[in-house]
Amino acid sequence: MKVKCYIQGMAAISPQSTFEGDITNMPLVRTESNRLACIEPDYKPYIPANSLRRMTRILKMGLTAALKCLAESGVSTPGPIVTGTGKGSLQDTEKFIKEIEQYKETALNPTPFIQSTYNSVNGLIALQQQGTDYNNTFVHRGFSFENALVDSMMLLQEGYTHTLTGGFEEITPEHFYIKSRIGHWRTEPVANTDLFNQELPGTIAGEGSTFFVLGAEANEHSIAALSACKLLYKPDPMQLTATLRELGADADLIISGTNGDSNHAHYYHLLNNTLTQPSIPFKHLCGEYETAGAFALWLAASLLKAGTIPSALFPMVQQLPSNFKKIVIYNHFYGEQHTVMVVERV
Amino acid sequence: MEELKKKLKEQIIEALNLQDTKPEDIDDNAPLFGEGLGLDSIDSLELMVLLERQYGIKVEDPREGRKILQSVQSMAEFIQSKQQPA
Repeated sequence: MKVKCYIQGMAAISPQSTFEGDITNMPLVRTESNRLACIEPDYKPYIPANSLRRMTRILKMGLTAALKCLAESGVSTPGPIVTGTGKGSLQDTEKFIKEIEQYKETALNPTPFIQSTYNSVNGLIALQQQGTDYNNTFVHRGFSFENALVDSMMLLQEGYTHTLTGGFEEITPEHFYIKSRIGHWRTEPVANTDLFNQELPGTIAGEGSTFFVLGAEANEHSIAALSACKLLYKPDPMQLTATLRELGADADLIISGTNGDSNHAHYYHLLNNTLTQPSIPFKHLCGEYETAGAFALWLAASLLKAGTIPSALFPMVQQLPSNFKKIVIYNHFYGEQHTVMVVERV
Repeated sequence: MEELKKKLKEQIIEALNLQDTKPEDIDDNAPLFGEGLGLDSIDSLELMVLLERQYGIKVEDPREGRKILQSVQSMAEFIQSKQQPA
């Protein structure tokens, strides 16, 4: 999809101190285990106490990031709300399933059931902001956020002035364990800052909630322009090479989804061989999860806004470029869902 | 009865995650919904589940439920009436 739209506001809750939004002064948060957990903000300024008591982590993170994003953009009532999530509220899902077993399918609490649905975050945003427009959540594994993005771009093309678009994911101890059984994570603990020292099977888990207000026209709030988003399902090397060349040939900087996982590293080797511009990783900041692409987009827009790449966040990169106007993000989710986004300075 | 009401208040606080509320903050006769604790319709379902899980009492008739869940006092009286041997 090649339609230009503009990021008018954004907010991210991640394992780094991203919520305040100033990337230039952000320290790199080091995590020694294989599971990166979000640094959660104080939710009370954003969510009424009576609602807060019922919400699990991801609902609070999703709603708060969305509200902060709206506040930054100057938009009070969102138009279309379009999000992507791979797993939705895992905590509620796990609670509900455990209670089915514990109480033999009787006397089940309604709250975890209601909130375990993927579109709970969207519903909460709409309720709190009185938004009655288009409301959709995409649940397509590693394509979840990017599908929300493509849908938002099409809505803007159809005439909407702006959309609230986001991606959110949480990792629970239970889900971390399940994914470890299928080899998603490193078997030995590795610090996020050491993730790229060696390519070995598995990577580190992560989570996050990232929202954007996208607009059809540039205005005084515009942070960056998103000019393309392409999705490729299990591409062959020729397809992938052609797409990277098509979208990335004139980029100044590459943001790579490389995650140190030797099982799927060959795609990132292909990226490095195809596009030789300076490249920076991002998974050491947020970990691996279905909607990590949303964090990468936030990072790209933040770097374009700052006009510089803070060396504290990328100690593994020898030379960071100082002048960049066009960034290409390439990411894939366990070799299946591949995505390429192009972000430009406004 | 007093012991039951104290226990019930603790269970309500836990089930509804009423942060910053202590058992002594809940008046026995204060309405649970609207004013008082300010609970809503989802909370009423949670309280029904509480009665079933903690006391083995299933409220079949929603109209009956409305009366039972008026206050801690009405809930305790209902539980006691069900627990008394016939």
